[in-house]
Amino acid sequence: MVKFPILLDIYQRGEGPLKRVERISLPEAGDYAIGRLDENQIVLDTPEVSKRHALLVVREDGIAISDRGSTNHTYIGDSEVDTSPWDGALPIRIAQFEIHLVPQTASGAETRVNVSEENATRAVAAGSTAASPAPAPRGQSIEVALNAPNAPSEMRFPRNVFKSEIVSAAEIKSSEYFAGEYTYLTVGGGLGSFVWADHLRIFGVGTGDIRAIGDDVIPYANYQRLCRNSQIPPHERLRSNSQSTPDNIWGFPGYASRETWKDLKEFRFGGIKYIFQVFGEASLAQTFTPRSGEVFKSIDKEAQRIGWRDMLTYGRVVGIRKTNDERYAVAYRVPEDQARGGLRERIMIGKFLHIATGYPATRFTDDLQAFKARYPEEARVFNAYENHEVVYRTIESKQAPASIVVRGRGIVASRIIQRLYEARDKNKGITIIHQMRNPIGPKEGYKYKGAQRYVYNHIENQAFNWPKACWGGQLLRETERATPEERVKIYEALGGTTTADRRDWRNIIQLGIGDGWYKPVFGHFETLELVKTDQGPKIQMKLKARRDQPAVEVVADYVIDCTGLIGDITHSPLLRDLAETYKLPRNLGVGGGKIGGIFVTPDFEIAALRNGSGRAYAAGQITLGGPQPGVDTFLGMQYSALRSVDHLAVLGAPNVSLFGPLRSFTQWIKWCTNAVP
Amino acid sequence: MVPTLKGRWATRILLFLWIGVPITFLFSLFVAGPRSPTLPLLGWHYDILPFQILSLLLLVGLILDPVYFYFQQFRWEKDWPFAFQFFFTIIEFVIVLALVWWGVLDFTRPRSQLHTTDNYLLYTIHFACIFIPSFIALLGLIQIFMIRWRFKSGEWGRM
Repeated sequence: MVKFPILLDIYQRGEGPLKRVERISLPEAGDYAIGRLDENQIVLDTPEVSKRHALLVVREDGIAISDRGSTNHTYIGDSEVDTSPWDGALPIRIAQFEIHLVPQTASGAETRVNVSEENATRAVAAGSTAASPAPAPRGQSIEVALNAPNAPSEMRFPRNVFKSEIVSAAEIKSSEYFAGEYTYLTVGGGLGSFVWADHLRIFGVGTGDIRAIGDDVIPYANYQRLCRNSQIPPHERLRSNSQSTPDNIWGFPGYASRETWKDLKEFRFGGIKYIFQVFGEASLAQTFTPRSGEVFKSIDKEAQRIGWRDMLTYGRVVGIRKTNDERYAVAYRVPEDQARGGLRERIMIGKFLHIATGYPATRFTDDLQAFKARYPEEARVFNAYENHEVVYRTIESKQAPASIVVRGRGIVASRIIQRLYEARDKNKGITIIHQMRNPIGPKEGYKYKGAQRYVYNHIENQAFNWPKACWGGQLLRETERATPEERVKIYEALGGTTTADRRDWRNIIQLGIGDGWYKPVFGHFETLELVKTDQGPKIQMKLKARRDQPAVEVVADYVIDCTGLIGDITHSPLLRDLAETYKLPRNLGVGGGKIGGIFVTPDFEIAALRNGSGRAYAAGQITLGGPQPGVDTFLGMQYSALRSVDHLAVLGAPNVSLFGPLRSFTQWIKWCTNAVP
Repeated sequence: MVPTLKGRWATRILLFLWIGVPITFLFSLFVAGPRSPTLPLLGWHYDILPFQILSLLLLVGLILDPVYFYFQQFRWEKDWPFAFQFFFTIIEFVIVLALVWWGVLDFTRPRSQLHTTDNYLLYTIHFACIFIPSFIALLGLIQIFMIRWRFKSGEWGRM
């Protein structure tokens, strides 16, 4: 239940920490429009905010936020939202503004109500009050007004067209939204879409029959962003194998032999070691992994070869429906500069649909969320996948002690520790507190069928995020054939957080323990407080007491949360709507989640979306917990693309060949000579 | 490599047919052939011995595959590194040599003709001629033609 008035703090991000610019009060239920124009109830007047940006729907039983097709989108925390309930745990983010829900207990006397209950009266915020410590920046006015509640959500695109489960293709084709019809449509526009389109092109389909709808022009843009934020610059190596090649459907030549070849051409014979790594890997040599920059370059080249730009439509998909002529309608919005007479909404129709939208959100553990909500001005807790360069910049530039809590034991934590180790070159006062849920003894690694995972420094070691045989060996077979319940057991036995067995990482840990600047701590933090110390404000954390050890108290400058990304599809408005509309079955939850991704057949078809002769497929993280464990990996995407395109070939989909040895070989020669497929 | 038992057998037979048989045919004709009796009708000098060795290699491999697969179960990744494959293929050849030494092929021709230094040298060259291209095939040549092979644990055919 919502208690009125509702108080909202509006913060603005400039250089440095967030500044609170306004506290507003909403006295009653209603629809509050947010945008740049004066006609909005909450006016955020900067160019980055769209004229009609978002709508805050306040009801007695809860609050919801809807994006109104804005250019820069609306976010809750780090997840982009279309329409989503809002509980206030994470702020709403619009351009450089953050809207925080003030906890109801903190309301009362300090509230500055500047909203008149009269309709359409506006009060312009002026300066600060006792309740707002930061003065409003000059030249920045935030106007707040209250209008009569209206309920446009049913009238909004795409709900105004997608009125039922099955929509009329003829109606769409005669509407102003219609943007063309294609045989193959892929939604997402990221690596999953790219690999699928690559297979289709090589199997015989022309660029004119394929469309990919996505947010980025470059297929790896999102992946690259995550890499950069989690401290993998172009020269650092990914956690991926030599033959996992998103630019080459055969997996040959792999990245190792390409790297060797490149070195040999320049008479650097050291390059031969990469071939030896592949030859001896895991047992005689450290597993080969490619440099991120090399992978991106290779994808650029393949994108050029298959004509990716010709197939890509820039836009954000907001809805998908079956049509009455055995196809699918995909509704999306294009940026403002591509609007046709002010109209940014489009609908495309496709016969064979592919959905690869990736991870819906970054994860923030509850205590860190609470800290962020309590101290929004303090840029002190970060998810490793968000931009946190400020941490390194700050600690490297001063010669004072700085301690950083690294949370989590996965590969990202390892890389962040390596980055902090490098920062120690500039500031010897940096110490690392590595927080893990529980200690793991050297003999306590996961077990599966006579084998056990190797443990070092309380972290389980594994070359990739699943055992290798999950991508094409007996473990893939077992998972594919298992019932949903058996799958959960397999996933539980094989899953868990692991890091790669890298010699340099082990040396860092050993060095750090020896010199005392690295310390592992175990357990959950009970409290996170901001405390004033001689060296300025710090985060104070108390670790819950455990059976075998007393409570621990930690004081740190920063917390970097390396516990990952959120795979729950309901964080994506598009997928939630799709799953609810067509009652899509979901996989059982794996890896601690209550419920898994979208249920797909071993051919990666979403059977519940079958529409006569129309077919819908999915790929990537959104299918987690299904027939293949490594869905969110390069090789996993190659596998799912191959499965679904093979499935299309058997169905007799236009221009998709059966891809026997001869065609495979001639197409490979074309790849080698960089000829159009 | 991440083979299953069926995949190991399938890949072994595939390499036998694709690489073993054609190379052995040429080898029997040109390298081992000149000192051999003439084939009727064709008039070629052709030695059947390399084919016998190749068949023995296949047989020993097929029998050892379940053993490898058993030991693979103790590996967490359920994989079989290329280095293992390399090493054990040589072991298989040594076993074949030992079998020949013990007289497995003695029924094919007089002992004095079979167990000569020249013959054992010939076996080794023959083995190298098959082994090197087979290993290169495993490293990537197969998947150029059979794109699904690497996802099918070494088995042939469609998904």
